[in-house]
Amino acid sequence: MSERPLLAFRRITKSFGAVRALRGVDLEVRAGEVHALLGENGAGKSTLIKVATGAHAPDSGVIELAGETLERLDPALARRRGIACIYQQPALFPELSVAENLALRLEPAAGWRRVAWAERHRVALALLARIGAEIDPGREVGTLSMPEQQLVEIASAIGAGARVVIMDEPTASLTRREQERLFGIVNALRREGVAVIYISHRLEEILALADRVTVLRDGQSVASRLRAEVDEATLIRLMVGRDVAQLYPPSESAPGAVRLALRGLCCRSAGGRPVSFEVRAGEVYGLAGLVGAGRTELARTLFGLTPADAGELWIDGERVTIGSPQAAIAHGIAYVPEDRRRHGVVLELPIEQNVSLAAWRRLFPLGWLRRDRERSEAREFVRALAIRTPDTETATANLSGGNQQKVALARWLATRPRVLLLDEPTQGVDVGAKSEIHRLVRRFAAEGMAVVLISSDLPEILGMSDRIGVMRGGELAAELPGGAGATQVMSAALGQPVEGTAA
Amino acid sequence: MRAEPAHPPAPGAAAGPSWRRWLLRYEVLLLLVLVVEWLLFYHFGTSVNRRGVTVGFGTLDRQFDILRHSCEIGLLALALTPVILTGGIDLSVGSLLGLCAVVFGGLTHALGLPLPVAAALTLVVGAVAGGLNAGLICQLRLPPLIVTLGTYSLFRGLAEAFTRGSVTYSDFPAGFLVLGQGRWGGLPVQAWLFLAVAVSVWIWIHRTVAGRACRVIGFAPEGARFAGIGVRGQLTAAYVAAGVIAALAALIYTSRLGQAKADAGLGYELFAITAVVLGGTSIFGGRGTVTGTLLGVAAIAVLKNGLATLPVVMRLNAAEELAGLLTGALLLAALAAGKLAERLRLSSVTG
Repeated sequence: MSERPLLAFRRITKSFGAVRALRGVDLEVRAGEVHALLGENGAGKSTLIKVATGAHAPDSGVIELAGETLERLDPALARRRGIACIYQQPALFPELSVAENLALRLEPAAGWRRVAWAERHRVALALLARIGAEIDPGREVGTLSMPEQQLVEIASAIGAGARVVIMDEPTASLTRREQERLFGIVNALRREGVAVIYISHRLEEILALADRVTVLRDGQSVASRLRAEVDEATLIRLMVGRDVAQLYPPSESAPGAVRLALRGLCCRSAGGRPVSFEVRAGEVYGLAGLVGAGRTELARTLFGLTPADAGELWIDGERVTIGSPQAAIAHGIAYVPEDRRRHGVVLELPIEQNVSLAAWRRLFPLGWLRRDRERSEAREFVRALAIRTPDTETATANLSGGNQQKVALARWLATRPRVLLLDEPTQGVDVGAKSEIHRLVRRFAAEGMAVVLISSDLPEILGMSDRIGVMRGGELAAELPGGAGATQVMSAALGQPVEGTAA
Repeated sequence: MRAEPAHPPAPGAAAGPSWRRWLLRYEVLLLLVLVVEWLLFYHFGTSVNRRGVTVGFGTLDRQFDILRHSCEIGLLALALTPVILTGGIDLSVGSLLGLCAVVFGGLTHALGLPLPVAAALTLVVGAVAGGLNAGLICQLRLPPLIVTLGTYSLFRGLAEAFTRGSVTYSDFPAGFLVLGQGRWGGLPVQAWLFLAVAVSVWIWIHRTVAGRACRVIGFAPEGARFAGIGVRGQLTAAYVAAGVIAALAALIYTSRLGQAKADAGLGYELFAITAVVLGGTSIFGGRGTVTGTLLGVAAIAVLKNGLATLPVVMRLNAAEELAGLLTGALLLAALAAGKLAERLRLSSVTG
């Protein structure tokens, strides 16, 4: 590890409209080190990467590569100078083969020449072998899994002779084995003297991999430390700028009467299987299970997106039929969906219009828009949920992920729901916003809502739930009390016998 | 886990002095273009003939002419605005105008129905035709472009079949011709109808949840469903309304010319789409205003009619050709200027 930085950012600033994304970031990355970049959503990580890859020009500040100042950086120049970025969603052409995709990046763009297919194939094979990936270069990229596509991206970065490789949440969609292979590749890059900028929300990963950690907060670099100087608690404190007192807020209220009851409810035509459980007012009912266990499908059936065609649904002791989302809203069911950016909020709309979107019937009698009511409603939620924004007219796209999620929550709270279905409410949300959302969920329950919490984050399920339903293969495999342990939930999810508790 | 979102500069996110934001609004720019256009034609297109009578652009008659000629395309543009806001398109409105015109002619002439009954039935035909578009788009989930390309041919073909390509209905009673040729309260009669439709569509789009729904569907069709918006109902309303307005345009067209033929409104849909897009409505849906559409219609109508009054154009006898050329240039220039203004508006904050 040399002492002189290979890539250095000095006092970088960048604003978008009224939003100051970067307010003076300093970052030094040395050759042969894995440099973790850490920060809450909205801290400026993505913007900093885009500055590094030339996608955004900084408003002020200097970028130096090997001691030389880079003026007017653009994506092509950045790539030529050896700065490569592996995005979470690989940016490959799905209809072309692996070898063709690599050739597009690596071969000079000459107009008329013969395609040397054999040579292409050989180069691709060699590059993939270098990172230990067993992928046939002739395969169409669209047929590869997400982690395989990521490997192709890494191969192309290495093939281009990258000196700096930026990895943006590379393990987000990987299984444990794939993660370990990726770590192996990161270590190999480090040995070859490549500087790796590694971005992840997973602290244990950063602590295992990184040589140095830089923490961004509110568009500024607040600390740059050697791995040996930090632990998990230190990093969280640096990220949020305060101690996260207690990770999960305790249950505040005793559950009341049964609000929501499913009796063999399912949508057969969408491949659902009958599910029965009850949720009381004031209760948080955690729905655990592996990805694909049928939790989101169940929520969509409850919300009328794929209406139930068998079984019964009872709300507050009254049998109801939910044939559409409109019917669900009318019966007081709210659903905060998993895919925030596609379904949770309409990014182009101002915050206030997103907040009012599901509560038209209450806010706008006779269908007549009332901007004043809309705005005061939105302002109330901005205050109550601590949504960080200059005003309620700001386009929702300008907010960070955590704040967008709060807007999605506000939209459904505005409908005054009796049943709140939360699907992965803290996915892709930073540590600070996450615990704020947890506190809010507790508050909603205390106000008398029946909350169904779907989450793949096991600690979240364990910490938040009053009772836990574990789904497997579309059915409820087990029902566990709130104090259940991680092993009990996991064994139920995997179809193993659960020790200690009766299902 | 996902990466944090980028911060794309969104239009409307800009702060800064409000007069500057207002001045850089697309509608204001378009209004400016319209005023300049009008003043140029007034200056160069008006003259006094040998008998000392003012002729050309600067006469009240000419202004009323412009109004009369732009009503039908203007109505189609108003019909298309909500449809385009939902991210859809309706190419069939021009053909539907033709179909409704001959249906009306047939009902009054061949069947001898009283005028009000025939007019009402024509509007029903328009609604049914719009319903056909909506049904194919919503129930079968076919893309609007393809569906209305199909009905574009279908409606025109039906109109041709009705009249066997040759029958022209004329000899309408004077009471009916007032609609397209008379004046009421100092203005052409159809101008009042146009105004009524414009105000209704404006209220729909800018003051009701149904208009908001069109916008949301245009931005995010899936997101609209997840927010509990009845997407099918809203889309159906937009296409049915388009059909009814096209039928109304057919009645006005028939009355103005005093005849109904199968080729009525040929190519009008493209003028209407041009006006809507010139008015600043995004062809991808979501963004747009009714005011913009009205200005777009006016800008095209004044250009087309004004050119015919210029001496140099009259000598060349090329008003139509020049109008097409300049309309295209105006559309492209306006789109480019709109983009530039958006950048300026944003830089007034950052810079």
